[in-house]
Amino acid sequence: MKLNRRRFLRAAGVSLALPWLDALVPNGPCAAENSPPRRMVCICTPLGLHTPFLFPERAGMDYPLTPYLEVVREFRNDMTVISGLSHPEVGSSHDSIFSFLTAAPHPEIRGGFRNSISLDQFAAAQIGGETRFPSLTLSCEGFSLSWTRSGAIVPSDTSPARVFARLFLEGRPEEVQAQVRRLRDGQSILDTVQGQARTLRPGLGSADRDKLDEYFSSVRELERNLARAEEWSRRPKPRVNARPPVDIANAADLVGKARLMFDLIHLALQTDSTRLVTLLLLGTSSVPPIGGVSLGHHDLSHHGQDPGKIAQLRTIEMEKMRTFRAFLGKLKEAREQGANLLDRTTVFFSSNLGNASSHSSRNLPVFLAGGGFRHGQYLAFDPANPPPLSNLYVTMLQRLGISADQFGSSTGTLRGLEVNG
Amino acid sequence: MHPIIASNGPKDSCPDACSLRMTTRMLTRIKLALLLFFGFAFAFAVKGPGSTSEAQSTLDKKAVQTDYDKQVRPFLIRHCLACHGPEKTKGNLRLDRLGLDFATEANRQRWQLIQKRVQAGEMPPESKPRPGEKETQALAGWIGERVQLAEAARKAQGRVVLRRLNRVEYENTVRDLLGIEIELQELLPLDGSASGFDNVGEALHVSSFAMEKYLDAADRALSIAIANGPRPKLVKKRYSLKDQHHVKLSMESVYRKLGDTVVLFSSSPWNAVNLYQFYPPDRGKYRFRISASGMQSDGKPVTYRIDAGPMLMGTKSHLVGYFDAPADKPAVLEFTQHMEARSTIRILPYGLARAQEVHKIGADKYTGPGLSVEWVETEGPLHDTWPPESHRRIFGDLPQTPVRNRERFEVVSKDPEVDAQRILRTFARRAFRRTVTDDDIKPFLNLFKSRLAKKYTFEQAIRVGLLGVMISPEFLFLRERPGKLDDFALASRLSYSLWSTMPDEELLRLAEQKRLGDPKTLRLQVERMLKHPKAAAFTENFVGQWLGLRDLDATEPSHILYPEFDAMLNASMPKETYLFWDEILKNDLSVTNLVSSDFTMLNGRLAKHYGIPGAEGWAFKKVTLPKDSHRGGVLTMASVLKVTANGTYTSPILRGAWVLDRILGTPPPRPPEGVTAVEPDIRGATTIRQQLAKHRQVASCASCHARIDPPGFALESFDVIGGWRTHYRTTGNGKPVMLDGRRMPYFQGPKVDPADVMPDGQKFGDIDEFKKLLLKDKDQIARALTRRLVTYATGATVQNADQPQIEAIVGNIRDKNYGLRSLVHEIVQSELFRSK
Repeated sequence: MKLNRRRFLRAAGVSLALPWLDALVPNGPCAAENSPPRRMVCICTPLGLHTPFLFPERAGMDYPLTPYLEVVREFRNDMTVISGLSHPEVGSSHDSIFSFLTAAPHPEIRGGFRNSISLDQFAAAQIGGETRFPSLTLSCEGFSLSWTRSGAIVPSDTSPARVFARLFLEGRPEEVQAQVRRLRDGQSILDTVQGQARTLRPGLGSADRDKLDEYFSSVRELERNLARAEEWSRRPKPRVNARPPVDIANAADLVGKARLMFDLIHLALQTDSTRLVTLLLLGTSSVPPIGGVSLGHHDLSHHGQDPGKIAQLRTIEMEKMRTFRAFLGKLKEAREQGANLLDRTTVFFSSNLGNASSHSSRNLPVFLAGGGFRHGQYLAFDPANPPPLSNLYVTMLQRLGISADQFGSSTGTLRGLEVNG
Repeated sequence: MHPIIASNGPKDSCPDACSLRMTTRMLTRIKLALLLFFGFAFAFAVKGPGSTSEAQSTLDKKAVQTDYDKQVRPFLIRHCLACHGPEKTKGNLRLDRLGLDFATEANRQRWQLIQKRVQAGEMPPESKPRPGEKETQALAGWIGERVQLAEAARKAQGRVVLRRLNRVEYENTVRDLLGIEIELQELLPLDGSASGFDNVGEALHVSSFAMEKYLDAADRALSIAIANGPRPKLVKKRYSLKDQHHVKLSMESVYRKLGDTVVLFSSSPWNAVNLYQFYPPDRGKYRFRISASGMQSDGKPVTYRIDAGPMLMGTKSHLVGYFDAPADKPAVLEFTQHMEARSTIRILPYGLARAQEVHKIGADKYTGPGLSVEWVETEGPLHDTWPPESHRRIFGDLPQTPVRNRERFEVVSKDPEVDAQRILRTFARRAFRRTVTDDDIKPFLNLFKSRLAKKYTFEQAIRVGLLGVMISPEFLFLRERPGKLDDFALASRLSYSLWSTMPDEELLRLAEQKRLGDPKTLRLQVERMLKHPKAAAFTENFVGQWLGLRDLDATEPSHILYPEFDAMLNASMPKETYLFWDEILKNDLSVTNLVSSDFTMLNGRLAKHYGIPGAEGWAFKKVTLPKDSHRGGVLTMASVLKVTANGTYTSPILRGAWVLDRILGTPPPRPPEGVTAVEPDIRGATTIRQQLAKHRQVASCASCHARIDPPGFALESFDVIGGWRTHYRTTGNGKPVMLDGRRMPYFQGPKVDPADVMPDGQKFGDIDEFKKLLLKDKDQIARALTRRLVTYATGATVQNADQPQIEAIVGNIRDKNYGLRSLVHEIVQSELFRSK
């Protein structure tokens, strides 16, 4: 990908304007957008969801509710529940988390594994330039769902307070000035090391050259990103009517942490600070502070059919479903140019494990909400012979207006999923 | 293109009928040794140094493809794909999607397996038509030739792929380069790992995100290294715990006040006392002195822990250590500790009563043991010089002058260009770990000049230049040229393997004098380095990854099944293993001690856990093990036993596979896809042995499990926190358990049966007999460890082609009683270590 910085900035400048948002305190005249912005949020709950409490008995539009679906029943027509899906060649293990949004084969064998680009980063390369932040990589536990093209992990943000500050809080003038200087210095520094390619490359074998090329393309990319950031730093940040979040001290508070992140995502989307978000929820070995739960979350997920453990697991997961419901509610309430935010945001909520008790990565629990799809149904695929999960990813990419016909291990788009006309 | 990594073993060793599935993160890590190399789509043909033409490599790729299409594909279509293709994929092996990139060892091995089985007539199976002699030879010839070419290329290129510093190495390097205390690891993206180590070049990537973090990290580090203010005032003060708000405001009667002395009786976490009166505005080194004694403790010491951190909601603190206060007579504990600005320490006695037990009697009448703290003294920040050493290291003696409101100082220069040249040169020599030339410095000098031209001050401009050096690939990567390492590369390899950081001045100087390569010098340096405190990094990073101890906190034992588990036990576990390793290394003891030894390193907590007398309190010491202790060697250490379990139950399969992989170097194949895991039933109805018995009877399963299960069963005598057990603990059916007059929250379940049979028919009754069987093949233990050590020390996976050199090393230490220190020397002197 060759792009000269000047040209890039010119192109970026055209689309820098913020769209009008009803709930946003306006900070200047905004150019009208031709097509409404499309967004995507990908959420993973790393210890799965107990699917007997999730998947209905019958597929179709008139599926009967289950305990977990009961929680989100008011969004029945805003979402599709999908069962059976999985990534082919992604073996059963906690390590399937590596491939959750990438579909890269065999993360479970670590030694021969190399990751590939994740869904959000793939999309960010196409549409990320339209917002202050090309994407947000959020995590309640530190690991990340997002990966670069070369298979490097995208570091995650774990502190809602810090992300909030980055998105919405203006520094003092001298801080802003110092930041601009840092960005410019950064560009000059990167420019300088770029020159070292010439002296370093000769005499290297191909494997070393690959490594060095990865370094230099990272340098080039960062140089472009810093130029963009400098451009954005001249514009005021959006202001929101929300109190800055206070990070949660209890490392096991999976519900509290999820809630803060969901609130943050809602604000980020509403202010059009970014259009692409990934969020890894917390799977912890500690005991979460939820009434009636006395065992660690990870321990409970290995229920081994013990009814007492399953009951506690259900308590945790019901709470989790409630935070998801609140998130959908906030998106649906937010208006944007006569539509609601949920209709313009594809929300993908799933797990890398279909059955955490046996670490199975088959038959994943999948919610697809919003995004303007024709929802209201339960799509049940045969877990023994399902279409690749990547097919759904292609569908989601196309919904973002990206003309991709392939992603990961896809063989097409996901059948049975229509777009509202 | 992604080469497919589908199947590892002979495909018929584990058909779908197999009813077992090994799962969990731990096991997947184990299996990586199977695939000894990465699924990288390297350019295929490398003719060695100089041949960097990409056009050439594309041509070669095409040639390979043509050969493949002519000689190989037709064979596969005729004889293989019906069972190993898109329609049917027996053994999870698809031959139509096998990678053609032979530079990847996983591919190479798979093709070699095909070669072997076809030549032996094992494949296609007897029921299918035989391929012709000529056909078979053409296929075998093609494979042989490709393997040979790839191995030759690897030899010419070097086995080590350009290595980026990992997070640990980066942090250590920045600390040593600048001479500062700073934590940077958490700032950087997570590293990948291969073959069990996070310093293997192939697994370490760079991204624009990582580059941004490197900029940030370097900037923070420079801000700390460079002094921009007056010398912080040294403050020395003595505090009484009675003035700390935990003691002043406690609603519970758990503290006894005797003048300035406060006795702490409760070990409940919320009764810890923060020294809030000490909350310094300046970061730096502080000296702490604590006068404390054990009270009403029956003449025994009272242990307490100290943590340091901001002690605010949502902030992390870290353990400074556990300390022992002697009974009755106050002794002064003194330690120095780096403290961030606005942080303090916290004191909590260990192993005393819970808050309510003390409170209901009242602290003044309570007769149980307590920790009596007379006073706490702090002194700091301690700076030997000002500006500090880190500042001088960059700027030398250049003067500082006040700027702006005279509170900030900046370095000034009368001759900016000359000074900048000198500063950058000195800095880059250490940062690049080699002699630097004017040409090396030029880009950074130009960067400096460009900032000066933009009206930056001298100091601001030089900082940008220094940042440039710290972002440069010459800093972030270990530069090695194909063939024998030059002295500088050797210095780096040495210091990153034994210290996980940059070479010190002595190593650099020896490299400059081209003397490091001399075997005698090298030997002396290894001795010097192993004796240096920095060698702790070798133990922590090698042993911590080899035995998986970095994951010790990944599981939290169920408090119902394991109420005796506590933070001090957890903190003691890895310490035993690290000290044990150090003891073997220091005295050149046999590596077989790692499997079976007559001593271990214990403190009071572990001694109690193991039921072995001879240690008290926190301090560790070497303890000779009683005959019936069942301990000795790493397998029976609580640390290893904890990381091989999941907090609730143990699995003989997981532990067995772990032993095969980590200790014996013969990892089992990956379990077949699609079989479900066996989960022990913690309700107490059946034992794991009963559950597993079924699969041991199926011949196809037994072929692997006959190897996997025995070590696992031997270790069944140890529970998930490494305690000895004769019976399982359960939450359901079983006998109630009383301990010290207290009813335990768990029940006594079925009896443990640790006996089993080795694949060669040798029987063992328990762990002690099992260890004796392992000791019969000392070479195997040494070989497995050597492969791991070479992987770690060179940052590259050991492949089949390296095996002869591994054997040579093992042969050399055989005559030296398999001494560990000898092994380290042998490795450093070996061709493997001394070449790229």
